[in-house]
Amino acid sequence: MATRSEILLEHDEQGGERLAHGGRPGAFRALFRHPTALVGLAIVGAMAFVAVAAPVLSPADPTDVDAARRLLPPSADAPLGTDNLGRDIASRIMWGARLSLGTAALATTLILTIGVGLGLVSGYYGGLVDDLVMRVVDVILAFPALILALAIVGVLGPGIGSVMIGVVSVAWADYARVMRGLVLAARERQYVEAARATGTPNARILLRHLLPNVFPPIVVLASLEMGGLILAVSALSFLGLGAQPPTPEWGAMLNDGRAFIAAAPQLMIYPGLAISVVVVGFNLLGDGLRDVLDPHTRR
Amino acid sequence: MSRPISGARALAFLLATSIVAAACAPAATGPVASAAPQLADVQEVIVAAEADGYRNDGKRNLLGMFPLNTNVYETLVTLSPTYQVEPGLATKWEFRSPNTYRFTLRQGVKFHDGAPLTTKDVKAVMDRMATAGGGTVGIDEKSAVIVDELNIDITPKRTNLRALQQLVHPSWGIHKADADVNTKPVGTGPFKFTSYTKADRIVVEANGDYWGTKPTLRKITWRFIPDPNTRVLALQAGEVQAVTALPRESAKTVATGELRVATSKVGAYEAIYVNIHGKQPYDLGQDKAVREAIAYAIDKQGVVQNVWQGNAEVLQTMIPPDILGGSRSVVKGTNRDVAKAKKILDDAGWRAGADGIREKGGRKLQLTMVVGYPSPEIHRPMPEFAQAQLKEVGIDLKIVTTPDTAAYEKRLASGAEGDLWVEAGSQNDGNPCFLPDLLFASPVPGGDAESNMYGNAFAPGPKFDAAIKQCRESTSVEDVQKAAAGAMKLLIDDEFVVIPLAGTFRLFGLSNKVLDFVAHPAGVHQRWDSVRLAK
Amino acid sequence: MTRYVARRLLYLVPVWLGISLLAFSLALLAPGDPVRSTLQAQGIDAPSAEQVRELRRELGLDDPGPIRYAKWLAAAVQGDLGYSVRTGEPVLRSLADRFPRTAQLALIAIVLGLALALPLGILAALFRDRAMDHVSRLGALVGASIPSFWLAYLLIILFAVQLRLLPVAGSNTPQHVILPALTLAIGAAASLTRLTRSAMLEELTQEYVRTARSKGLRERSVVVGHALRNALIAIVTVTGIRLAGLLGGAVIVETIFAWPGIGKYVVDSISGRDYPTIQGFVLFAGTLVLLINLAVDLMYVALDPRVRLGGRAGGD
Repeated sequence: MATRSEILLEHDEQGGERLAHGGRPGAFRALFRHPTALVGLAIVGAMAFVAVAAPVLSPADPTDVDAARRLLPPSADAPLGTDNLGRDIASRIMWGARLSLGTAALATTLILTIGVGLGLVSGYYGGLVDDLVMRVVDVILAFPALILALAIVGVLGPGIGSVMIGVVSVAWADYARVMRGLVLAARERQYVEAARATGTPNARILLRHLLPNVFPPIVVLASLEMGGLILAVSALSFLGLGAQPPTPEWGAMLNDGRAFIAAAPQLMIYPGLAISVVVVGFNLLGDGLRDVLDPHTRR
Repeated sequence: MSRPISGARALAFLLATSIVAAACAPAATGPVASAAPQLADVQEVIVAAEADGYRNDGKRNLLGMFPLNTNVYETLVTLSPTYQVEPGLATKWEFRSPNTYRFTLRQGVKFHDGAPLTTKDVKAVMDRMATAGGGTVGIDEKSAVIVDELNIDITPKRTNLRALQQLVHPSWGIHKADADVNTKPVGTGPFKFTSYTKADRIVVEANGDYWGTKPTLRKITWRFIPDPNTRVLALQAGEVQAVTALPRESAKTVATGELRVATSKVGAYEAIYVNIHGKQPYDLGQDKAVREAIAYAIDKQGVVQNVWQGNAEVLQTMIPPDILGGSRSVVKGTNRDVAKAKKILDDAGWRAGADGIREKGGRKLQLTMVVGYPSPEIHRPMPEFAQAQLKEVGIDLKIVTTPDTAAYEKRLASGAEGDLWVEAGSQNDGNPCFLPDLLFASPVPGGDAESNMYGNAFAPGPKFDAAIKQCRESTSVEDVQKAAAGAMKLLIDDEFVVIPLAGTFRLFGLSNKVLDFVAHPAGVHQRWDSVRLAK
Repeated sequence: MTRYVARRLLYLVPVWLGISLLAFSLALLAPGDPVRSTLQAQGIDAPSAEQVRELRRELGLDDPGPIRYAKWLAAAVQGDLGYSVRTGEPVLRSLADRFPRTAQLALIAIVLGLALALPLGILAALFRDRAMDHVSRLGALVGASIPSFWLAYLLIILFAVQLRLLPVAGSNTPQHVILPALTLAIGAAASLTRLTRSAMLEELTQEYVRTARSKGLRERSVVVGHALRNALIAIVTVTGIRLAGLLGGAVIVETIFAWPGIGKYVVDSISGRDYPTIQGFVLFAGTLVLLINLAVDLMYVALDPRVRLGGRAGGD
C-alpha cells in the first residue's frame, strides 16, 4: 500500500507536470508499440477476460464442497488440483480474479473521484477550502495506512465492503495532494488565465480546461494504484478481515492454504502467483503508459 | 546474508526452489526411540506455544497462563486423565456438611525459594481469588478458614458441593503468599520460573527440591509463536522440539520422518451454540424448527472423517464420556438426515425461494456463524463444510471469523452479533456441570465472575437452571452425573440449543527425541515433568 | 532558515490536533459498550445496575463528547493513555514495551532495503538499457508485486527449513531479525530502486552534469558528488514514508515471524475492540509520522539550498 505514495513522488513536481502537459495525440497508438506496456496490457487484459468470463471458463463451481475429493494434485479433471474441501482451485482462482479485479477497480474509481475532485477544488479555489482539505489530507497521511484501514474495518466489521471503505478512506488523500499540486501549476498557465479573463464560469474551467490537462498522470496513477490495491485487499483478506468464506478471494485462499504448504503446495502456490502476476501486469502497464504519455522521460 | 538477493533471477530461483522444496519437504525416515533409550546430555526442550495470553489483572496467577504455569504451581487436588480428583498439595480431604471441604496439606512441601508450604499460603490464594470475583468455586473473603498448621477449611459463599472438583483447575494453583505473581511467581511445582519476555518466551528450570518424582528435563523454554503454520515450520526446521495446538490439518504433514503427532484422549469438543435470545437480525435462532433442522443437516461423521482426517471422534454431547460415568448415554444426539431437516423446515413454513434459500413472511433464512474460539484456525475448514451442508437444506450461512478468543468473547458480550457460535471448548475440571453451568445457566445480576460468561445468549431458562442447581447441591457423584446428563439432554435433544459436532483431543507435534510425553485430555493440566530427551 | 523551521513547527499543531480528534472519534464510532468491556476486564460479567452506574460516572461517560475529548487529550499529553481493556496494562507502557522491537526491525529493513536499492538503482541509471538495467528493473518489478505474507513463507521454507541457515521465528538473537527484515526490505527495495534509477536519470540529463563533465571532472565525482546528492532529496522522502509505514508495525510479517512488535498487538486490539489501546496507538503512530516528516523536511533544507529561500513551503 505504501507504493502509491512513492510512485506519486516519482512524478511529484516536474514529472507530474510534464505528464500533464506532455500528453500528445497518438499516445494510444504508441502504447501498442511500447513493449513493456504491451506485456502489461496483455497480462491485465487476459486477467480481465478471465474475470469477466469466469462463469463460462471455470471448470467447476468454485464453492462446490466435496470432501471426498480433497487435496487432489493437478490433473486433467482439476487443472490446478483441489483444496482442503475438494473445491477446484483453478475455478476458485478464476472467480477470485473477478473479486480482486472488481474490488480494486471500484476502489480505484472511488479514490480517484474523491481524491482528484477534492484536489481540483482545493488547488483551484485556494484559500479556506484549500487549507481545510489539505489539513485533513495531512492528518490522514500521518497514519500508517494499513493500520488506519484496519481500524476502519475493525469498526465496520469484517467483509469485502468494509475493506474497500477502509482502503478508500485512506488512499484518496495522496491523490488530493498531488492533484492540487498539478492544478496549482496549471492555473498559472495562459489558457486558464485567458479563460478566466473572458469570464468563463469556474466549473467550466475546472472541467473543460484543467481536468483534461491533468488527465494523463491520473491514467498512469490509476494503473499503478490497481496493483497496490490488489496487494492491500489480499493482505486484509489474508488476515481474515476481507472476503468471508466461501467467497473465493486470493488472499483468503492463501490464508486457507497455509497449513498445506508442504503436503499440498498447490493451495499456497497458485493464489500467490495469481496475485503477483496481475500486480506485475498493472505495474508494467503503468510504467508503459507513463513512458508513452510523457515523452521526456521515455527511457 | 553475505550475498544480497537481487533482481528477478534470484527471486525466480527462490520461488522455484521453495516450490520444489515444499513439494518434497518430508525428508528421510528416522529411527524411533527403542525401549531403553540413550538420554541426551543436555536435557533442555524448546516448545512452540500459542500467542502470549498474559493479562495482568493484578490479582490472579496469569503469568504463563495455563498450561505453562501448571508446571510451576500446583493445586490442592489434581485431575487425572480420566477426570478423577486425585491428591495434589493436599493428601486428603473431607466434606463437612453443609458446604465445607477440609483439606489436609502434604507435609514437607517446599516453595521454590525454600520456604515451607503452609495453610497461610493457601488462605492467601483463596483471599486473592475472592478479590477477583471468587471464580467458579464462589470464594469470598470469609471462605478460607485456617484450622491449624496442616488443615484448612474452604466454604464457598453459596451452596456449591462441586468445589472439590473445581479446585483442580490451575487458576487455583498455590503460590507463595508474599510473592508477586505478575513478575516473579513462586510455586511448589516440578519446574521453577526463570524468566518471562513479553510476547516472546517463558523459561522454567527443574526444581531440584521437588517433593514428587524429580523431573529429568533441566529446562523448558516456551516460545510464543502465534501463527500455527510458523509453529509447524519451526518444528520441521528443528528449531523447537515440540509444538502445542497443532492444527488438525497439519497433522499429516508433521507425522513423517523424525517427527510425530501425540494425541490425548477426548477432553474437548467442537460444537455449535445457537443464539436463542438474539435481537434482529440475529433472532432466527429463536425458531426451534431452524435449530432442529441445523442439527439434522450437518454430517458429523463427515466432519470427523473427511474434514479433519480422523483427528477427532463423533461425540453427541459436549462432556467427555469418562466424566459422565453411568449417565454417559443419556444424550442421544442427531445424525445427518437431510430429508428430515427439509421436512422440519417445510412444516414450520420455511419455503424454498428462487435461489434455493428458504423464506418465511418475506424473511430469508440467512444465518451468521461466528468462528474464533479459541482461534479460527482450530476449526478450519469445518465452517465451510457446514455452510455447504446447510445450503443443501435451504439455509444460507454467512461465516464471520474473529482472530482470537478476546475478539470472539467481545462480540458475544457486546450484542451477540451472530446466530451460530462455534467453539472448541474443553472440560478443564472434575465437575460434570462445569460446561453447562459456565455457558448456559441464566445470568445472575452481580453474580460470579466466571459463571454466566456469555450472558443469556444460549440460556434455555428455568428448567435448565434447576438441573444446574441440583449439580451444585448434590452430595452423590451419580446424582451430579445424572443432573449434568439431563441438562445436556435438554440442551441437545430437546431444545437443540447446542449442536455437538465432535469430541476432540489435543494434538501435539513432537520430535521423536521427546520421550514419555503424556498428553492430558484437559489442556490446562498439561505437565511436562515426565518428559525426557533421547540422544 | 529559523523562520522556516518555526513555521514548520507551528504547522504541526493543527495537524496533531486533527490526529488526536480522529483517534478519539474511533472509539465513539465503535460498536460495543465501554462499561461492559471494562467490567469484563475486571472479571465481572454480570454486573449490577449499581456497578454500571458507578463505572459510567468514573469513566466520565456521562459527559458530552467534546468534554470527554478534552479530558482524554489532557491526560494523553501527560502520558496517560488509559488502561488496555484486554490486558489490563497501561496503554503507554504496552506500546513502549513493544515499540523498540518494531523500530529495530523497521530500521534494519530500511537499511537493508537501501543497501540493495541504491547500488542497483545507480547502476541501472548509469548502464541504461543494458543488461544491468534490465535485471534491476525486473527485480524491482517482481519485488513490488509479491505479497509480503507469501514471500515470508517462501523465505522460511528455503532458508530455515531446507537450508537451515537461519531461524524460522522468534527474536532473541541477531540472526532472528534477518528473515523478517529481508521480507520487508525486498518490498522497500523494489520501490527505492525504481526511484533511485529515475531520480538519477533525471539528474544525469541536467545541465549542471553536462557542465561538470565538460569541465573534465571525474565520472565518479560527477555521479556521487553531484547527481546522487540531488537525487537524494527524492530518495530521502520515500525512505521516510517507508520507514513511517514500517514503524506503524508490519502486522503480517511480525505475526508470521513471531516478532514481538507493535503490529500484532495492535491488530489484536483492533479485533478485540480494545479502544483505549487503539486510540493510544493511533495517537502515538500519528505523532511519530509527524516527527519523521519533520525530520525529512529538515533534511531537505540540508540537501537543497533552494528550500532555504522559501521555494518549498512547509507541509505542502
